[in-house]
Order: sequence, then C-alpha cells, then structure tokens
Amino acid sequence: MSLHYTFHPINSNPEPKRQGKGTVSQTQDNLSHWLGEKLANILLQVQGITFKDIEEIRLRIDRPFLLLGNHKEVFIDEQGSAVPPEKGYRIRREDILQALERMTQSSLYAAEEEMKQGFITLPGGHRVGITGEAILKQGQVQTLKHISALNIRVAKAVEGKAEHILPKLLSRDGSLYHTLILSPPRAGKTTLLRDLIRKISDGSPALHTRGQTVGVVDERRELAGMWQGIPAYDLGYRTDILDGCPKRMGINMLIRSMSPQVIAVDELGHPEDVEAVLDALRTGVKILSTAHASNLEEALSRPTLRVLFEAGVFERVVVLSRRHGPGTVEEVIVLHQEQECHRGKVREG
Amino acid sequence: MIWAGAFLLIIGCGCLGLYRAARIRKRPAELRECLTALALLDTEIYWGSTPLPEAFAILRERTDGVWSVFFAELSERLQKGEGANSAWNATIDHQLPHFCLKFGDWQVIKDVGKGLGRSDRQEQHKHIELVKQQISLVKEQATQSSEKQAHMWSYLGFLGGIAGVLFLI
Repeated sequence: MSLHYTFHPINSNPEPKRQGKGTVSQTQDNLSHWLGEKLANILLQVQGITFKDIEEIRLRIDRPFLLLGNHKEVFIDEQGSAVPPEKGYRIRREDILQALERMTQSSLYAAEEEMKQGFITLPGGHRVGITGEAILKQGQVQTLKHISALNIRVAKAVEGKAEHILPKLLSRDGSLYHTLILSPPRAGKTTLLRDLIRKISDGSPALHTRGQTVGVVDERRELAGMWQGIPAYDLGYRTDILDGCPKRMGINMLIRSMSPQVIAVDELGHPEDVEAVLDALRTGVKILSTAHASNLEEALSRPTLRVLFEAGVFERVVVLSRRHGPGTVEEVIVLHQEQECHRGKVREG
Repeated sequence: MIWAGAFLLIIGCGCLGLYRAARIRKRPAELRECLTALALLDTEIYWGSTPLPEAFAILRERTDGVWSVFFAELSERLQKGEGANSAWNATIDHQLPHFCLKFGDWQVIKDVGKGLGRSDRQEQHKHIELVKQQISLVKEQATQSSEKQAHMWSYLGFLGGIAGVLFLI
C-alpha cells in the first residue's frame, strides 16, 4: 500500500487550489508544513527570494539551507535572511528526519517502493528527491538509509503555455499528432504536459477543437497531484487518471477500460515504457509524452528513445529550455515518418 | 445511629477495597489487549505497509475500551502532522489516568514509540517484536501477582473498615 495522505496540514488547507487563471497559489504554509519545526519557522520568514519564485528547497546534512528559483540561489540563515553560504543555517540530521517524518506521515516504511526510485511525491505533485546510502539486494536498490539530502521540487502549474503550441500539434481533423516534449530537468515539461492535457480534454473554441478523452498514467504522481482520489490540478473534463501505476501496465489498462483517444504519460525512458507505447499505437490512440533531453540530437542518442524515433512513432517534438525561465519553447519539430526533420521556430507568446 | 455509622464505614472501606481489587485485576487484561494491538500494528506495517495514521485508526476499531480511545487520540495527533514518537508519548501522558497500568508498564510501552515509522518494514517488525516480548514478560508477572493482590484488597477493605469501627468505638 502506498501513502495515503489523509491529514490536513497544520495551519493550511490540504493543498493549493487554483486561483484564477495562470497560477497555483504557493504559500509558505503549504510548503513549510512538510518541514520540521525549525526549518518551517525559517521558511516562514524567508527573505531575499519571493516565495512564489521558489522552485527547489535543498536540504543537505551539514550544508547551508538553500533555496533555488528565478535563476538564483539563495542561502538562508536562522532568521530567514539571504546570506553568504558559510553563514547559512546548517541542516542537521534531525531536520532531515523530521521532514521525512512529516512527508511520509511518520511512515517511512510505507514509502519504501517510491524510495527505491529515489524520490517520493507529496500531495499537489511536489516531488522530493532523496539521497542516502543505497541498500542493494540482488543488484537492485532495496531501500535508502542514512538519508543525507532532500530536494523538494515545488510543483507549479503555469497555465496558458499550451495555447500557442497546441495548434502545431493538431492535425486538420483536430486529432493530436503523436507528440514528445523534450527538456532538461526543471524546464517545465511536466507543466506544459499538464496544460496540454487540460486543453485537449476540454477542447478549445478558439482552435475549433472538440474535447477528447484523455487517459493519464501518472506513475510518479506529479501530473495530477492526486489526493484521496481527487486531482490537485485540473486536467480537464474528459480526463481519466491512473495514479501511481507503472506506465507499462497503466497504458494497457486504460486502453482496455477507458477507451481514451489520447494517452498522456510523463518521462518515457524505461525500455518497458517503450514497449507499452509501441503496443498502444496499434490500438489507434494518440501518444502525448515527455522525456529528459535538451534537444532532438540528445534524445536520439538515448537508446530507449531512439527505438521510438526509428519506429517513426512521434510526429511532433516540442523542445523546451530555461532560457527565458522554465517553459521556454525553443522549437516545435515536425517529424515525418521517413525521419525528415522540418524545424520551425515558434514565437514565444 | 452508631451502628448505622459503623455499617456505613465498613461498607465504604469495603467498596474502596473492591474497587482497588478490580483495578488490579484489570491490569493483566489491559496488557493482553496491548499485546493484541501491537500484533495488529505489526501486521498492518509489515504486510500492509499501512501508514501509521491509518493503521492506528484500524486499531481504534479493532480494540475496546481504553485502548480504543488511546488509538483514536493517537491517530488524530498523527493526522495533524505530529511525529510518531512525540504523539505516542503525548497520548500516553494524556490517557494514562484512564488505565490501570503501573508506571513500570508504561516505561515498557513507551519503547514502542522510539523509532516508530522511521525505518523500513523489516526494522519496524523487529522493533515491535522486541517490545512485545518485554510486554509479555510484564504481563506474566502481572497475571501471577494480580490475583493474590486482588484477593488481599477485597478483604483488606472490609477488614480495614471493621478495624476503624473497633477503634472508634
């Protein structure tokens, strides 16, 4: 059984709700309750970085408390002030343990399966990367112990990005081309994917498209940020979400049970994922996915992704970067079955 | 009037003795219930990977009386975000007057909270097994001594009342 977050955090609502168009509110309370008392207090009085700009909170034992966001790094002291690294508040082992205790509802054992992958996902889709001493059994990571660092990646939903990309990804009859979104980490591919899913699912009068049934396999629980069966993020009226299920199983399950027109998955990369995608193509569904790579060449150099490109699966590739902040669309590449690439720059809206 | 007063004194002291005897008899029962609850907790953690707030909510349903109230409070504390060890200790401190257990019993039971939820399933299983063994020993001793002590207090109450009457007369 995986973690079921059934509690209302102290001083806060369960998770941020969408506030108008464009953003998901990110308050200090929402994030600070995942930390121990000491760190929570520091975070609540933090200066030197606007809270909504925080993208990562880095906790490393015996290293200074570090916040990242908006193209800058800010080391924080005990009073929450921005200081040089050597004067920053030194994270103690107890801080890490308390944070883990809160993130796992005092049930580290219940997060064992997720920890094998090196991260756990919090309600709202915030992902917490974990490093420590890997315990191996028959060559496989069994668990992590002596946890030494946490990286809280704050999930943000900046809507509206899909608006000007979607027309490039739709055929004349309004159906989606098989699409892959490429970007390095923290460049906004999950955010864009989420936005595209919602747009495709709801349909767009401006684009004269009707809503399509979308099946989402949210293996890492980032896309929908499910909480007690209810997604924290709006993925559209016609979206069915399979939460926490491996892609290789989830894709087939959705096709069999929910008859989707589009299957959306995050972070393709495992050989088994590739097999599942190839299998899904034979059923007539459209694939919308993401992968880690800075550009098409890098993606082609990854053996698992190369199989998909060689099979001529993808018809459109969207490349993102952080050049003008997360979610900068570098290019939308039109791929033909014969592997010819026609590149066209897309203006930033 | 004197005889009525004497009668009341004997009955009053006798009831106190019987109350004390009943509390002594309850102690092994409460320890037995604690062992059952820990076995259930172990199952939920080891086989179900059930998170602690949920596991304690299940224990609340599966136990009776004082332990049910104990686990209800514990589950609530964890749902509010309190750490497992501090929640366990705080619940003990709060619920302690409602139990018939001795100070030494609580010292052993407090060990459950140490490291609770902070390691993998295997470690949790070992930890709970160890505490269960200690509580089993305490329970054996309590069972052996409780019947004798309960008998003693049953008689002692009435005899104390009679002694008081004789002294006053």
